[in-house]
Amino acid sequence: MSQTILEAENLCKFWGGLKALNELNIQFKDKQLHSIVGPNGAGKSTLLNTLCGAYPATSGVILYHGKPITHLKGYEFCREGIGRSFQKTNIFHNATCLENCCIAAQQRIGGNFNLFRKRSKNRQITEIARKALQQVGLTARADTRATEVSYGEQRQLEIAMVLATSPKVLLLDEPMAGMGHEESQTIISLLKELKQQYCIVLVEHDMDAVFELSDLMTVMVDGQHLITDTVDNIRNNPLVQDAYLGNDDEVF
Amino acid sequence: MSILSNKSEKIFIYLFFAIGLFIPLFLEGNTFFINKFSTIIILAIFVMSLDYLVGRTGLITLGHAMFYGLGGYIFTILAPEYEAVNFWVYTFYVMLISGFIALIVGLIVLRTSGIYMIMITLALAQMSFYFFADSIEYGGQDGLFVYIKPETSIFGLNFLDLENETHFYYLCLLSLFNCFVFFKIIMNSSFGRVIDALKENPDRATALGYNIFHFRLIAYVLASSLAAYAGYLFALQFGFVNPSMMSWDVSATALVMALLGGLGTIYGAIIGSFVYEGLHYFIEHLTEYWMFFMGALIIALVLTLKNGMAGFLNTLSGGKRS
Repeated sequence: MSQTILEAENLCKFWGGLKALNELNIQFKDKQLHSIVGPNGAGKSTLLNTLCGAYPATSGVILYHGKPITHLKGYEFCREGIGRSFQKTNIFHNATCLENCCIAAQQRIGGNFNLFRKRSKNRQITEIARKALQQVGLTARADTRATEVSYGEQRQLEIAMVLATSPKVLLLDEPMAGMGHEESQTIISLLKELKQQYCIVLVEHDMDAVFELSDLMTVMVDGQHLITDTVDNIRNNPLVQDAYLGNDDEVF
Repeated sequence: MSILSNKSEKIFIYLFFAIGLFIPLFLEGNTFFINKFSTIIILAIFVMSLDYLVGRTGLITLGHAMFYGLGGYIFTILAPEYEAVNFWVYTFYVMLISGFIALIVGLIVLRTSGIYMIMITLALAQMSFYFFADSIEYGGQDGLFVYIKPETSIFGLNFLDLENETHFYYLCLLSLFNCFVFFKIIMNSSFGRVIDALKENPDRATALGYNIFHFRLIAYVLASSLAAYAGYLFALQFGFVNPSMMSWDVSATALVMALLGGLGTIYGAIIGSFVYEGLHYFIEHLTEYWMFFMGALIIALVLTLKNGMAGFLNTLSGGKRS
C-alpha cells in the first residue's frame, strides 16, 4: 500500500454560520487518483481551497508527509509541493503558453529577485516549462499567446502550469468543466498517465470520467464526509445513491 | 538592442535620443528652450517611474508627487547651505533616503489595493504636503532655496558645470536614458516576469507560490526613489523647492501624461510628457482659457487612441499589440 501524503484531520471551514466543511477526515495516498464527488454545495471546492491554503481552515489540521502545515500562508503551500488548478480557467492570458509555465517554474528555481538578469537566460526554467507543456501535449503551442489557444487547450495549460511548479500533490478542480467529449478524452488519458507519478485529488462532475479514473472515491454531503471507498463499492452503495442521485421518492 | 520590445519603440528611442543629443547645437544658447527641454525631461523621468508603477505593476497611486517633492527637500535639507557638494554623492543619499521612506510607506499602502490604495497614497501625499507647507523650519509655503549648485567631479574629473544650462540639459538627458534602460532591463528580468504575472493575475501568482507583497514592495521602492531623483533634478534646475511639488495635482498630471503616452510602455512616458507640455505651451500662448481646450484635447486623444500615443505609433509602424 502506498503511503499517505496529504491528510486532513477534523478539518472545519465555516463561513459565518454556514458549515462548508464540518469535521472532515480524509487521507490522500501517493500515486493514486482520489476523486471527490457530491452534490452542489457539498463543499468539494471549499475542501480543495482549504487544502491548498487559499482559505485558512477554521479548525482542524492539515498534515503533509505527517507534518502539520495548517499554519502556513497561502503562497507557501505551493512551495511545499501542493499544486492546484482552478475550476475557472486561471492563466496569464497575455503571455505565451511557455511563459505561463515559466512563471510557474521560476518560483521553484529561484532568481525571483534578480533585477538584471534577462529572464530568457535561465535555461533551467525554460526546460522545466517545456517539459510541463510536453507532458500535457501542448508543445506545438509553446509560443502562442494563451488567449489565442482553444478553451480545451487552456484547460491543459492550466494543468501544465501546476506541473511546472514540481508538485507532489495535484489538486484539480474540475479540469474537464465545459469541455466537449473529445477534449475530455485528452484530459482523461493525461490524468491516467499523471496518476502514476503524483498524488491526485480530483473534483469533477463528469461521472463517467470519475468512474474511469479513480482509485478511490470520496462522497461528500453538506460539508461532511459520507464514505470513502473504491469505485465499484461506491456505485453499489445505497447510501450514496440516496445522497447523490436522490431517492426514488422524489422521482415522479 | 534586444531590450527594445517593438519597432515603434526602437524608432522612437533612436530618434528621440539622436535629436536630444544635437538639439542644443541648433538652439545656440537659447537658454529658454534648453531650460524648457530640461524641465520636460525631468518630468519624463518622474512620469516614467509612475508609468512603471501603474502600468507595469498595476499599483495605482495618486501620491507619487510626494516622492518627487521629497527628493528635492531631502537634498536641500541635507546639503550645507553655502558650500558646493558632490552631485553623485548626493544622488546616492537622495535615492537611499527616499527609498527607505518608500519602504516604510510601501509597507502601509501596499496592504490595500485599487481604490483604497489611491485614497491612502493621496492622503499620505497630502499629509507630507501640509507638513512642509506648515513647517517654519523648512520654509513653509515658500520652501527652501538652493544657493549653490553641486559640482559633478568624479575621480577628480569634472565634465559638467551645473550652472551651465546646456550642461544641465545633457545631465538630464543622460538621466532619462539611464532610467529608460534601467526600467527596460528590470522588465525583461526574472523579477519582471513575476511583476508581469502579478499584474495580470495576482491570485494565480499567489497560488503559484509567490508572495506578491514582496514584489510589489520592491517595485514601489524602485519607482519612488527614481521619482525622488527627478525631484532632486528639479530642485537643482530651479534652485528652490516648495510644497507645491508634492501637491496632488502634480501626481494627477503625471498620471494623465502616462495615460496619454500609453500606460505601461515606459517610452510612452517620454512621449506623454512632451506632448502634454508641448500642447500646454502652444495653447497657453493662444488663449487665456488654455486649460479648457487642453482638457478637451486630452479627452479626445485618450478616447481615440487605444493604449495612448505609444499604441498609436505601434499601429502606424504596423506592429501587433505587444
